[in-house]
Amino acid sequence: MRLKVLLFGLYWLLWFSSKTNASFKKFIRKSKVRLMIRTADGQFARLFVFDQGKITTAVGPHHAFDAALVWKDAKTAFSVMLKQNMEAFFYAAADGKLKIEGMPVYAQWFDAAMKHI
Amino acid sequence: MTKISGGHLVAKYLKEAEQVTHVFTISGGHIESILDGLTEYGLKTIDVRHEQAAAMMAHAWSVYTNTPGVCLVTAGPGFTNALTGIVNAHLENVPLVVLCGRHPIRDDLKGALQEMNQIDMVKPVTKWCATCYDTRRIPEYLAIAFRQATMGRPGPVFLELPPDILFAEIDGGSSPVVPRRRHKTATRPIQADLEAAARIINAAQKPVLLGGTGIGLSDCGPALKAFVEKTGIPFALINYGRGVLPDDHPLSLSEGGFTGITSGLPVADVIVAVGIRFNWVLQSGQLFPNAKVIRIDIDPHELDRNQTATVGLEGDAGTVLDLLLPLVDKRDHGQWVESFRRAYTAFMTTELEKRRTPSDPIHPSRLVAQIMEVFGTDAYYVADGGDTTYYGLSGFSSVHRAGVQIPAGGLLGCLGTGIPFALAAKLAHPDKPVIVLNGDGSFGFNSMEFDTAVRHNIPIICVVNNDCAWGMIKHSQEISLGHDRCTCADLGMRHYEKMVEGLGGYGEIVTKDEEIIPALKRAAASGKPACVNVVTDPTVTSQATILFYQSFSEL
Repeated sequence: MRLKVLLFGLYWLLWFSSKTNASFKKFIRKSKVRLMIRTADGQFARLFVFDQGKITTAVGPHHAFDAALVWKDAKTAFSVMLKQNMEAFFYAAADGKLKIEGMPVYAQWFDAAMKHI
Repeated sequence: MTKISGGHLVAKYLKEAEQVTHVFTISGGHIESILDGLTEYGLKTIDVRHEQAAAMMAHAWSVYTNTPGVCLVTAGPGFTNALTGIVNAHLENVPLVVLCGRHPIRDDLKGALQEMNQIDMVKPVTKWCATCYDTRRIPEYLAIAFRQATMGRPGPVFLELPPDILFAEIDGGSSPVVPRRRHKTATRPIQADLEAAARIINAAQKPVLLGGTGIGLSDCGPALKAFVEKTGIPFALINYGRGVLPDDHPLSLSEGGFTGITSGLPVADVIVAVGIRFNWVLQSGQLFPNAKVIRIDIDPHELDRNQTATVGLEGDAGTVLDLLLPLVDKRDHGQWVESFRRAYTAFMTTELEKRRTPSDPIHPSRLVAQIMEVFGTDAYYVADGGDTTYYGLSGFSSVHRAGVQIPAGGLLGCLGTGIPFALAAKLAHPDKPVIVLNGDGSFGFNSMEFDTAVRHNIPIICVVNNDCAWGMIKHSQEISLGHDRCTCADLGMRHYEKMVEGLGGYGEIVTKDEEIIPALKRAAASGKPACVNVVTDPTVTSQATILFYQSFSEL
């Protein structure tokens, strides 16, 4: 449940930043990226759609994506994502708690975008 | 006293003083005397179909043999055609010796055939360039050229030889050719800097060694092996450093390709950068913003370029590693290495699946994996193109020095390097399979060199990753402009295999996954220069394209 709230909150943070944060707006203005964040069992899943500056979202695991951060479970996802720390992400992957489906370069793009917020 | 012409004196010098065995060239009137000299002194001439390929093959010869490659081109268009290859060698710091014809001295400013100011054109892209005006001084000029090309930071040199001095005859004894002394010189860092570097290395918890062309040109395999195995530092080698230690070394991170190298660098605490520039390939050093950085380079100007070094050590890669060795502790970073590998494996989930899974249409990652299935790590691989270079660099693996190269993917981003590089690799290592993975776009630049391959019996195997487009550009345009506004990006389906057959080689087309391996085996068994034209999924976009597009999006 906490993960669901976190993902929803993340969407609103991204949407708000796309309206108010000049640096973030510039970074995302030409990109078309569909990034999914979900748990392996699909119970928690949210798609973030970046479309040349506009940000929308959709719930559920069955949407097409460019890259997906697939977490082993909701608790891990929540704790690691809250840290907003590259090292925590790296070790989550190394410990088998996170994998990236699709193209990891989009996950890196998302990480770079978040640095503007 | 025996007479010798200037042209013959050039050949005599190349053979006797420099032990040159191969010269890459196209014939031309201005250089006829040198060509005859090459015959007289028994040097192997590889005559190509475009001077660009001659320069690129000589460049590649330097890479694969660690001896300076020599190309000989005629004046005017011979020179301008070679210029792209010279620039490529300049940006890659490769010791390339370019000998070039010139209009006669007596005709200066008269409007002679092919009269042009070659020297001023080539000056910014060479370490040294000159015109020789005296037949007797030919050996002296050539000696300077070879020294300039090879000493310190290597690079291309250019020597213009007018026909007036090439056709003139002198007494053989008046300009003796003596073997060039190879002076061993070494710049070494001060002891305090070496000790400071060793302290950082000894305290590191998550170190990574990044090695580049400086390692390859230093040919310092034993020094590098001793250093990484004592310190336990995992390493990634790129450019001409790739394969100085084999990709299957327990501490190598190369198997993860681009994703592998970039996935762990942001969390590394120490980067040991050896003979590698922090240019766009390494995002100007921004990939590891929090790490302490030890930079080792033969060119002191590189030590702080784009990112200030915590410690900068000037010198030849192998020499500096030898100096560091007694100062560093024996360490085991096994856990860090394992974490690194598991992390990039998790990041590469989809790519690894693509490699394992038969695909229809064929995915380029699958194609590369199938090529590896046939030829394994005891082969030389070259990739040439846009997206194609990403798949090649990620998927190919070799135990040989410079065994995996993407010569189009460096600073010049010059398409068309693949076939010349593969030809040079095969000449240098005739007993090993040499495979070039070409995009269909890049194939077009130097594909006529299959004629060279047939005439000189150089049986390379070219696999065309044929997506019927300039893929990297087309996909970028699709992202930025939309699918309906792509311009100048489509190539259409072409039977490149038939073109190669027409030139006397072996050709096959492949459209299905299960056909890849049998076709590759038949191509190898043919013993001819071969082209396997593989139709791949035109919708697939590589990670490199996304980075390429994003770099422009932020402007």
